[in-house]
Amino acid sequence: MIALLAQVAGFLLALWAAPHLGVLWHALFPALARPTWDSQSWFTLLGEHLLLSLGAALIAAVLGLGAGILATRGAGRALRPLLDALFAFAQAIPPVAVIALALPLLGFGAAPTLLALVLYAALPVMRSAVAGLDAVSPAVLDAARGTGMGRAGILARVELPLALPVIQAGLRVAVVLSVATTAVGAVAGASCLGTPIVVGLANGNTAWVLQGAIFTAWLALIADRALRLGLRRGATA
Amino acid sequence: MPLRPALLATARPTTAPSPPREATAVALLAALAALAPFLLGWLSVAPNRLLSPRPAALPMEPGLGLAMGGFLLACLLVLLLARRTALLPWAEAAAALALCALLATTGLGARAVLEAASPAARAMPAAGVWLAMLLLALAAGSCAAGRGGTPGRFLALAVLGVGGMLATGLLDSLSVVREAAARGPELRTALNGHLALAGGALALALLISVPLGLLALRHPRLEAALMGVANGFQVVPSLALFGLLMGPLAALASLWPALRQWGVGGIGPAPAILGIAAYLLLPLASSLLAGLRVASPALLDAARGQGMTEGGILRRLRLPLGRGVMLGGLRVAAVQAVGLATLAALIGGGGLGRLVFQGIGQMATDLILLGVLPVVLLSLLVDGLLALLQSALEVAR
Repeated sequence: MIALLAQVAGFLLALWAAPHLGVLWHALFPALARPTWDSQSWFTLLGEHLLLSLGAALIAAVLGLGAGILATRGAGRALRPLLDALFAFAQAIPPVAVIALALPLLGFGAAPTLLALVLYAALPVMRSAVAGLDAVSPAVLDAARGTGMGRAGILARVELPLALPVIQAGLRVAVVLSVATTAVGAVAGASCLGTPIVVGLANGNTAWVLQGAIFTAWLALIADRALRLGLRRGATA
Repeated sequence: MPLRPALLATARPTTAPSPPREATAVALLAALAALAPFLLGWLSVAPNRLLSPRPAALPMEPGLGLAMGGFLLACLLVLLLARRTALLPWAEAAAALALCALLATTGLGARAVLEAASPAARAMPAAGVWLAMLLLALAAGSCAAGRGGTPGRFLALAVLGVGGMLATGLLDSLSVVREAAARGPELRTALNGHLALAGGALALALLISVPLGLLALRHPRLEAALMGVANGFQVVPSLALFGLLMGPLAALASLWPALRQWGVGGIGPAPAILGIAAYLLLPLASSLLAGLRVASPALLDAARGQGMTEGGILRRLRLPLGRGVMLGGLRVAAVQAVGLATLAALIGGGGLGRLVFQGIGQMATDLILLGVLPVVLLSLLVDGLLALLQSALEVAR
């Protein structure tokens, strides 16, 4: 926990310091006239990155959980092959292809990326929700029914709590995937930590690429670590 | 001993063959696919490359009516065939037929519409056609859901059918096909570059993960390190990893200019191949180790007791028993390599991504499609072929 907080503090400090380190960037990239990224504040980019990726993860969690609940009861069971096919299909298509295909329809900006993020992040949540709800033993459900609980009550107070560890693992995958994939959205004009990378590549400014890459990678590692830690706490609690 | 109720329930003979569990999903998808072009449009026509396309009505003529009838009939066939488990593979084939008839309708419609329009006009499939294609692919995938979810039959037939239609010039009026014809050499270079990037990265990742994986089998500390590194790469976004590799490689190339002759530099295929290979380490190494451990310890003990050497055990027990698992990892890695190679164009590595990003830069839909469609097709084909190999191995055992 303390290590994680230290890492977050280090990350924020580095974000604050990056525009003031002109000397360092000039020394590393002597050939570049403007090696320091200063067209946008790093904190703005971080905020937009988090808003986009966490917003997408939230929508994906609702959709994925809903689809998972639907596919484990009653008539919804018939949709299971469709969900399996969707999962297999998405595994074979890279997110950047979805972003590129959505671009002519939705235009430049965050929208194509949001669509791709929601699609890709919803799948692990749905998968884990189906797996977790399937794993609840019929004996437990029988007992719950025997005590006179209604269907909604069983779902909310028995099934979901029992399936929670599996669903949480799916949520973790969704959030990490979302935070990492958001960076690719920069090629479609989504403003995020990937923006300096794409702008740098377009202008041949390797220094901007390096700065963007460091912060993008760092944020992804922090997100992964935080969620692992959060899960372990949840498991022991 | 009294029979338990659960046993009785399973022993009860089934009177009529009930529809398979896939039936409802497939029927729903096929029906929606048949409706989609009628609701969302078949064709869009733009007066030229710059103006945005508008929906266009299909001109009614005999050939087009025939193709459209074939499409609707094939959709109905998918729906009906999916009601018997034994006929599911045929439903998958009917979905491919529907896809081909759909494209034929669009191609014929585009030809008829453009005859009356100016030479600069461009016709492209409208949203309804794209959606119907996606729904048909999902219907085929649902048919195959019980068999691992890869609709190999659908893919093979669709590729054959669309290839045949392209060869006979049936689809020549569609703008993306025109774009492909206009950019033939560029498309070929991009495709070759893409295959070289993905293949090179896969070869490099195999070269690293196979020896290390074999060593890690007997050295737990090496295994922990290998898995830790491979897992760490997975978390780092690909765009960032490519960016991080540029600096060091550029420095390397300026220290030893001889390296440049080998294509090593900050820009170009070298950082892309290294970056892609880094992501392939996890699927390859973890499936290799899992595959090597399929052979049970008792079996290995028995083999050792017979006097088999460790090399013999590896060749005659561990590899044959674990090859299905290993092939599964190779399949995941190969599909990932094809997808990741798309991003290589951002750092000057070439490949199909060049067309995609050029298209994004110019907001040219046809150019984007020209890059994305081959990537999607290539991924599905690689996945399908390796899935086929996997199931062939499982049957052979």
